[in-house]
Amino acid sequence: MNRKFLKATMLGTTAILSASLAQDNFREPQYRDVQGNVTLEVWSWVPGLDKTAAEFTKQFPNIKINVVNLGGGAQTYNRLQTACRAGSGAPDVAQIEYGFLPTYIETNCLVDLRTLGASNLRSYFVPWTWRQVSPRNQEVYGIPQDTGPLAMIYRADIFKRYNIPVPRTWDEFARAGARLSELSKGQVKIGNFFSTYSPWFIALVWAQGGQMWRQNADGSWVQTLNNPTSKAVAKFWGDLIKAGYVSTFPAFTPDFWNPMAAGRIATSMEAAWGPGSFAGSLAQNPGQGAQYRVANLPQRTLGSFASGNWGGSSNVITRQSKNPQAAMLFINWLNTSRTGIVSDWNNGGLFPAAQAGLSLPELRNPDVNPSKFFGGQDVITVYQRASQAVNVDFTWAPWLPAADAVFADVMAQAIQGRITFEQAIDQWQERTLAEARRNGYKVTGGQ
Amino acid sequence: MVTFTVFFVAPVLYAIYLSLFIPQQVNGNLTQVFGGLQNYEWALQDNQFLKSFIHIFFFGIIQIPIMLLLATILALILDQMVDGFLKRFFRTAFYLPYTIPSVISGLLWGYLYSLNLSPLNYIIQQNGGQPINFLASTPMTLFVIGNIVTWTWVGYNMVVLFASLQGVPRELYDAAKVDGATGWNVIRYIKLPLLRPALFLTLLFSIIGTSQIFAEPFALRSIGFVPNDITPNAYLYAVGAQNGNYSYAAALALVLAAVTFIFSSFFLRIIARNSNDQ
Amino acid sequence: MTNKSASIWLVVVMFIFSIYFLLPFYWILVSVTKDNGQLNTTFGLWFAYPWHLLDNFHEVFTRNGGIFWRWLGNSFLYSTTAATLATLFAAMAGFAFSKYTFFGRSFLFTLILGTIMIPATALAFPIFLLIQNVGLANTIWAVILPQTVSPFGLYLMRMFWDQSFPNELMEAAKLDGANDATVFWRLGVPLIQGGLVTVFLFTFVAVWNNFFLPLIVLGNNNLFPLPLGLAGWAATQTGSTPPYSAIILGALIGILPLVLSLLFLGRYWQAGLTVGATKG
Repeated sequence: MNRKFLKATMLGTTAILSASLAQDNFREPQYRDVQGNVTLEVWSWVPGLDKTAAEFTKQFPNIKINVVNLGGGAQTYNRLQTACRAGSGAPDVAQIEYGFLPTYIETNCLVDLRTLGASNLRSYFVPWTWRQVSPRNQEVYGIPQDTGPLAMIYRADIFKRYNIPVPRTWDEFARAGARLSELSKGQVKIGNFFSTYSPWFIALVWAQGGQMWRQNADGSWVQTLNNPTSKAVAKFWGDLIKAGYVSTFPAFTPDFWNPMAAGRIATSMEAAWGPGSFAGSLAQNPGQGAQYRVANLPQRTLGSFASGNWGGSSNVITRQSKNPQAAMLFINWLNTSRTGIVSDWNNGGLFPAAQAGLSLPELRNPDVNPSKFFGGQDVITVYQRASQAVNVDFTWAPWLPAADAVFADVMAQAIQGRITFEQAIDQWQERTLAEARRNGYKVTGGQ
Repeated sequence: MVTFTVFFVAPVLYAIYLSLFIPQQVNGNLTQVFGGLQNYEWALQDNQFLKSFIHIFFFGIIQIPIMLLLATILALILDQMVDGFLKRFFRTAFYLPYTIPSVISGLLWGYLYSLNLSPLNYIIQQNGGQPINFLASTPMTLFVIGNIVTWTWVGYNMVVLFASLQGVPRELYDAAKVDGATGWNVIRYIKLPLLRPALFLTLLFSIIGTSQIFAEPFALRSIGFVPNDITPNAYLYAVGAQNGNYSYAAALALVLAAVTFIFSSFFLRIIARNSNDQ
Repeated sequence: MTNKSASIWLVVVMFIFSIYFLLPFYWILVSVTKDNGQLNTTFGLWFAYPWHLLDNFHEVFTRNGGIFWRWLGNSFLYSTTAATLATLFAAMAGFAFSKYTFFGRSFLFTLILGTIMIPATALAFPIFLLIQNVGLANTIWAVILPQTVSPFGLYLMRMFWDQSFPNELMEAAKLDGANDATVFWRLGVPLIQGGLVTVFLFTFVAVWNNFFLPLIVLGNNNLFPLPLGLAGWAATQTGSTPPYSAIILGALIGILPLVLSLLFLGRYWQAGLTVGATKG
């Protein structure tokens, strides 16, 4: 534990002692308003962020927030990438997943938030998230927003109906898949493989200790997308897909939500923001008698416990922002204030990156979403356990967008049966390597 | 002339200039350095780029003839019909899809093709069948795009062809009738030859249009997976917007322009020669 | 010419094709009365109760602070401005090609026709970078200026000048001492009005339907034309389903202007096609 952190913790402790009336140890930094009327443009796909932003404007009426939702992941990134290169058209604030941050650091698109006083905020966040926004341990490129430790969302009613225990290990998962398929005559799948989102797959590999990238001291890279763990995970899911136990509906489309609601998919490996996503997307069509619950991610063996991280985002300020001070105030408030964290949880299901946020009693309220949608289950505690089991030392390469696109392509071919899933992983490595080199990076393959 | 130069010649020259550079990691940071013809060398070895051409080539040789055949048949039938409400109705109905922006028709058809919103899949599921995933493979995705493109452009092409049939002096038909020509012979020996110039034009525009397909696959992404190499333009967009590699994108764009140019000139020449022979 | 039963069969064939072309429109009309849940669970080609048409209108007009109107307005602004300028440029250049003989005329004309064969989208990235260099990226000019050049419009305009404005008239006017500008505006423009409308319509539709260029050059939501905005709504989301009903209704409202113009200005649409086709 470094000195700064210790100091901050001590400060925090003092705050708790002095606030004798407070029921919990939540603390917020001092927010200092800026002069004049400002409108900030914010690119984010967090559901309901406009509601949270309205809360902010209530508190700081001189700052209006214009939330623009261009769609999750690549859809926003492609636009941001273009705007950054163009030197205009970028928003004041953008949402970027940790894995994609290096891409924008590389293009020199982001403001070093130390110039806006971000150094003082370090102690408010879960330490590994701070390392993600400050990968060189100097410049700070974003304020951590949420994290995405993996757990398993499942349909309790389906397991009950077929009298199958909820799987705790991957072996049990595979067996449950076979049993479910047999009993339902192939109608119900045990799970779904998100073939178009490589960060999902990477998180599963991550949970089992596989690493995809590392950077050498001279700045050159080593890429190991085809590491043994990666291949083993791909083979595991590939076998289940071939056997017909697992479906491959594209994530976040009605083609996934509808079979989920109709009871044709029993589980889904979801990040901590998943429950919020379920509650929002299935609101109009939850499915008859559906009981959604969360359990730990299946493990290699009983008794072991590990998880990986899918997504989780930071808020960044682009160099094109004309009001970096106001933008800083907003992203600081959004991610450290009680109002911001609670609103983001209820409207968007964001699992906060702020340390104190995790213990907020409001996040355990069974009567509001996402907990309400999960039958009042204390969803956040399950994910808090998962969060502690994430190996936090994970490096991302700046060409993740290319790796992501290639992954979707090779997996589509594997699903069509044109290549095996292990071959797909080898192709993923080779093709991404070629693209990274073409885009100028010094990178070698390795194991 | 000036505007023409600024917006057509300048971008071409700039693209050529741009395509001679490559990004490189210098002291940890990406920098643009002079790369000569490196980008073109990569382009010729780039499997995804080649695949996108193969896709669009097969797409073209199947979809364009179907579309133009349909357009011709519909134009001929329309030409036979007596003026009146029905004729106007059909013409407008067939032409209507052309007025819809391609990305919007892509979105709407996308919903008609999706696993759950599609009425066809609804009927299949009601009868206990498995819904069809129309984006399950690249050929199927191309088929879906083909249908959208056909739906949009048949009417347009039909009106072009119909318009040139209307330009034919009626006396020609009367003369043919006097000579005892039957309906089919009138079509075969009078109308089809007269349609030739219009068919040229529609064919040319179809080839160019096919090489540019982008909005439809882009829109289809909202219902499922569409690979980047589905069409050259989609790949171009990925290289530029996703990877930020504009110099490579410029090289690919020039290759695409050159191939389209050669292809359409080649086609025009063949057709022109054939028509001169007759 | 053909016997009665054959022509009935032809009409039947035409009806079948009409169903193919009109079915999506019918589906749109049905879908705009449903909410997302009904879209997912009820038969797409028939209505479901209760109706949600008014809710959908409300959603379209208020979503993201009522930005729909802005997008629609942008589409009109871009299409009208670009089409007006493009028509003007095409008319002037067509006039020059048609009425003057100058060195390299036929070569230049062939060159311009040749550019029809270069896919416009291939130039989008270079255009974008050029625009960015002059500081116009992410402004309305980034969309408008590149689309003021229409080789096809120029080609059409030359045909119109050749057909509707006899060279003798030009010479007569010149003898009367009129300068080029006067001939063009006073004598020429009234004579080729039909051609102007046709070229205007065609470039208007082309700009209205263009997707690739605005996608690349625009970043600001407030500057989007309608198709780009709707595509944004339709993009896959992590935490909520896209507002399908609102997108479909928005699309319907967005295509109405062109459909109406087709119904009322039909003869101009056809005029352009005739000229293009017979001389092609």
